[in-house]
Amino acid sequence: MADNQDNNSEIPEVRILRNGPILLKGNFTFRDSSGNITTGEQELYLCRCGGSKNKPWCDDTHKTIGVPG
Amino acid sequence: MMDKTDRKYTNGEITVFWQPKKCIHATTCYRELIEVFNPRKRPWVSMNGAPTDEIIRVVKLCPTKALSFKYNSEIAPVNNTDPSPAMPEVRVMEDGPLVLKGDFTVYDTDGRELRHFKITSLCRCGVSNNLPYCDGTHRKIGYTGK
Repeated sequence: MADNQDNNSEIPEVRILRNGPILLKGNFTFRDSSGNITTGEQELYLCRCGGSKNKPWCDDTHKTIGVPG
Repeated sequence: MMDKTDRKYTNGEITVFWQPKKCIHATTCYRELIEVFNPRKRPWVSMNGAPTDEIIRVVKLCPTKALSFKYNSEIAPVNNTDPSPAMPEVRVMEDGPLVLKGDFTVYDTDGRELRHFKITSLCRCGVSNNLPYCDGTHRKIGYTGK
């Protein structure tokens, strides 16, 4: 906290959630595969099991089919 | 020496150069990365078909050096149409990985910080042998991002 407080707090986070999706959190630009762009503060959960019916978003299908740890 | 048949293709980050007179059609590029190098398409190079690091990997495999590349930052003047180039960007590749460009802090499932350089490609298909990173396996299994 003491070091680089301003800079660090502005760097967006990417978390690989155990047995779950990828969490993207912070201030960044998001571009989907059709080229649609959203920019700014956001919190997104993206499928990484390959099985979501609502890609790129997580729809909890990993709970049924299992996901790599 | 530039030849008038030479072509160049860019994704904003790198530019790929193709010198047809050097090309012996060894087919390495499109066997490795048909999403980018597809001789049946025009233009035959689609720079949005794969992450930059993947394109660089395949360009380097070209046996005749008919394919080469440069980072756009090395090519002057920089023609930057991005309104906020410093903004970190997440890009979903069609039928491919998630590509992180710029400053991100990436944590693994144990909350440990992972190495992240200018670009990181994360697996979306679930079967990479190098999780959480993409290793190209999505092509073998026919993963679709739809």
